[in-house]
Amino acid sequence: MSDLRVLYVVHNHPTLHPGGAEAYSLELYEAMREQPGVEPILMARIGSNVARRRVAHPGTPFMSVNGDPNQHFIFTETDHFDFFTLTSRDKSLYSRHLTDFLLAQRPDVVHLQHTHFIGLDLLSQIRRVLPEAAIVYTLHEFLPICHHHGQMVRTFGDELCPEASPRRCNECFPELSPQSFFLRERFVKGHFANVDRFLAPSAQLMDKYLRWGIAPERIEVEEYGRLTPSRRAPDPRQTKSPTNIGFFGQLSHFKGAEVMMEAMAQLDPEAEAHLWLHGANLDLQTEEFQEEFAQLREQLRGRVTFRGPYEHHELPNLMADLHWVLIPSIWWENSPLVIQEAFFHRRPIITSDVGGMAEKVRDGVDGLHFRVGDPYSLARTIEQATANPRLWRSLRDGIRDPYPMDAHVSRLMDLYGELLEQREEVAVNA
Amino acid sequence: MPETVRERTGARRRSRRLEQSVAPLAAGVELVVEKDRVELRAAERTDGPVGQLKALLREELAGLDAARRTEIVSDLASSPLLEELGSLELSSSLYEVREVLRERLPACAVEARQPVGLAVEQVLAVDQRSFWVSGWMHDEDGAGEVTFVSPEGARVAVTDGAFRLDRPDVVQFYAGLQGDRTQEHGFTALIELPAPSLLASGWIAELRTSQGTAVEIRCPDPVVDPQEVRAKILAELGSRGPVGGELAARHGRHALTRLQERIVGESEVDSIDLYGEQPTAPAISIVIPLYKRLDFIEHQLLQFSTDPDFAEVELIYVLDSVEQKEELAKTAGELFALYRLPFKVVNLTAGAGFAGANKHGIEAAEAKLLLLLNSDVVPDRPGWLATMRAFYESQENVGALGAKLLYEDGSLQHAGLYFHRGVGGELWENAHCFKGLHRDFPAANVSRVVPAVTAACMLVDRERYDEVGGLPLHYVQGDYEDSELCLRLLAAGYENWYLDTAELYHLEGQSYVAEARRVPSEYNMWLHSEIWGERIETLMAEFDPFEDPTAA
Repeated sequence: MSDLRVLYVVHNHPTLHPGGAEAYSLELYEAMREQPGVEPILMARIGSNVARRRVAHPGTPFMSVNGDPNQHFIFTETDHFDFFTLTSRDKSLYSRHLTDFLLAQRPDVVHLQHTHFIGLDLLSQIRRVLPEAAIVYTLHEFLPICHHHGQMVRTFGDELCPEASPRRCNECFPELSPQSFFLRERFVKGHFANVDRFLAPSAQLMDKYLRWGIAPERIEVEEYGRLTPSRRAPDPRQTKSPTNIGFFGQLSHFKGAEVMMEAMAQLDPEAEAHLWLHGANLDLQTEEFQEEFAQLREQLRGRVTFRGPYEHHELPNLMADLHWVLIPSIWWENSPLVIQEAFFHRRPIITSDVGGMAEKVRDGVDGLHFRVGDPYSLARTIEQATANPRLWRSLRDGIRDPYPMDAHVSRLMDLYGELLEQREEVAVNA
Repeated sequence: MPETVRERTGARRRSRRLEQSVAPLAAGVELVVEKDRVELRAAERTDGPVGQLKALLREELAGLDAARRTEIVSDLASSPLLEELGSLELSSSLYEVREVLRERLPACAVEARQPVGLAVEQVLAVDQRSFWVSGWMHDEDGAGEVTFVSPEGARVAVTDGAFRLDRPDVVQFYAGLQGDRTQEHGFTALIELPAPSLLASGWIAELRTSQGTAVEIRCPDPVVDPQEVRAKILAELGSRGPVGGELAARHGRHALTRLQERIVGESEVDSIDLYGEQPTAPAISIVIPLYKRLDFIEHQLLQFSTDPDFAEVELIYVLDSVEQKEELAKTAGELFALYRLPFKVVNLTAGAGFAGANKHGIEAAEAKLLLLLNSDVVPDRPGWLATMRAFYESQENVGALGAKLLYEDGSLQHAGLYFHRGVGGELWENAHCFKGLHRDFPAANVSRVVPAVTAACMLVDRERYDEVGGLPLHYVQGDYEDSELCLRLLAAGYENWYLDTAELYHLEGQSYVAEARRVPSEYNMWLHSEIWGERIETLMAEFDPFEDPTAA
């Protein structure tokens, strides 16, 4: 029997620009490459917003990546992407180039990690060109449901939004009519109809998609599997006063940047706590945000240290002197990869009490919850945590290893097989 | 014959003067007026007194009626002597004759209250006998006729044969008038003169309406620079959506084909510079056109010089960007001193374009096998040429043989060429198999018969190449020549092959301005489909570009 050809599609590649879903996608591709009987193919989108130079070969959007025969860039113009309907206005991308690619590659399974900047039309085109291929779609946020950056947070007052509807979405975007939100939903669902199975890395994310209308038999929870890093960070040198808190990730509004700075400002002056910021993409935030952030930083000189962006391989070193990892996001999150990384290095987590964070971090077992978006609540939680070495040790001991990649790969292999059988039945009955 | 004699006699009786009058027009030409006959005649002695011509015109012809005078002027401008002599002096004299004899119509004043209007927006000299004219006309009922008069006096009516188009600006201008609202007021046509026109100005256009109004205007002077004419015609072809349709088929194609012939025809071999001792009986002649980027030569010579197969190769560079002749001579001398690989440089008198430059290079080539190569192609490793040659000679009936070409990042640039028709499109576009995929893509690692291959690297037997007429010259700015050559080879019964084991890099340019290339590309694609569409249809019904020959 010939190898199972699995095409992974992702909206960015770690060699271009860092990002969680893209890092996971590349790890999955690499893990699948080790799997006997599988030939994985990776197609990662490249374009002006992630690459410094506009590079594309004439006549084709495809380029190979770093000499790997099975990794491909697909170049798409950022301007051609319609952020409302989540697809490209340049239809020749599908009718021509992606069709050619699918016909040449003939994957048995197409596993989409992300279709941003590539577009939802791809889903239908896969089905047209390769009727027998199984289509799997991993959901990383709520873009299909929510036009507000896929966060499911209202545009006014940062209120968490439990459900989308034309009426509610129009409240968030008064310039877009309820009718256009109705059409948006129909459009997304129309293309989603081609997907054989959705994967939700967290139960709370699945719940929101179920409520939105994905049939229960078409979606399941499957956590991100991660390759085991080469080494674990050692325990902090001193654990008598667990005062060092680390933040990893984008310094943005939705990631709770202001909440954590505000909380640090509100700490009891006697409290010993220090926040280390390992943050990227500050330059991509609004000017207003950057100014406010700079001001808070200045104000909090003795409490907060900004250490800039980091590379994934530096994590063990950066974690070495930290006791806690802080995840203060004000949106639901999905399944933040930082949680897995912190747990792998045995660092308890202080996090918001909603969504994927509340689901993955157990309050009082391997971390502490605070009230989402509430600097007062966070400040009190930090005071309690940093003053209590026994609590820290007990939470550290409560940490379980994150979901390993080999278990994830094995589940995916079963799933691909199951879906291919289903598709065969469909083909026979048709 | 008795009747003629009688007439003549009668004429002589009527007026002895009319029997035959002669006046010199230009060196070697005289005007002869003999009764009803007025013609140009080659003459040995044309040193008549100044003023003789004017006197003759005044005395013998000016008194004739307008229709007859018009006819005489037109007849003179049709004389084969214009073609034979190509004399500017003769053209100037004919212009004077025209000015004395022609019927002057009222000048047309374009006014919103006056329904008769005429404008000529451009006159482009495609060559000395064919001119591309465009403008608009407006009259009472749309039945008017427009006639162009060349400076020498030749008359060509354009109304019937012209391409007509909507001119909303004209409709709006005359909005206050009753009458002709519906017709297409614009016109564009390629007009053919019976004999060459050489003068830089003096074109007239006349409009005669069905209601008996007749007006004239002076036309803008013709544009003569072939590159400029080509650009303007292309701009007009592309100004109303994609190139194609009646304008392209009935006017554009003829004009551009003739322009291409003119541009290539005006380019000749100026000199051939030899570097090193040329091989006496080369097995392969490699022809490489050079355009602007001379730095590629060094990269090629470095790679070629370490490849033993090049001992039997005649290497010919053709410099198409002629202004770089001295720069190239200096570079070539220095590079030969270093690499010691013999080559020759063909210098041209004027740029000939991709196909034209190849043509000159091939005319200088001596070997039985020709390798057409682009200057931005460099081999991956030695041995590719012997591999191609061995394959060519081992297969019967090969037309063109193409190689595996790669981008700088190892993606496939070329693994055979096929034809693709866009969604809802009627035109066939050239496409490369597996373009953008990795060089080791399994389906591209098999040699196979393909519809065509790129001329960026193409091996072809010289006799077969000549048999089908070689690279066509009628495409604009390099495009589709290679696929047409391959289609010609197919039509002659040969097969085109892709060979995966010859691997070279093709550093295909990324910097060209896409918009500037849009119209020429569209035109080339249209022309290619116009000529080969039916054959391609059959061909593509049988060819699967995505076939995976490695699949069980």
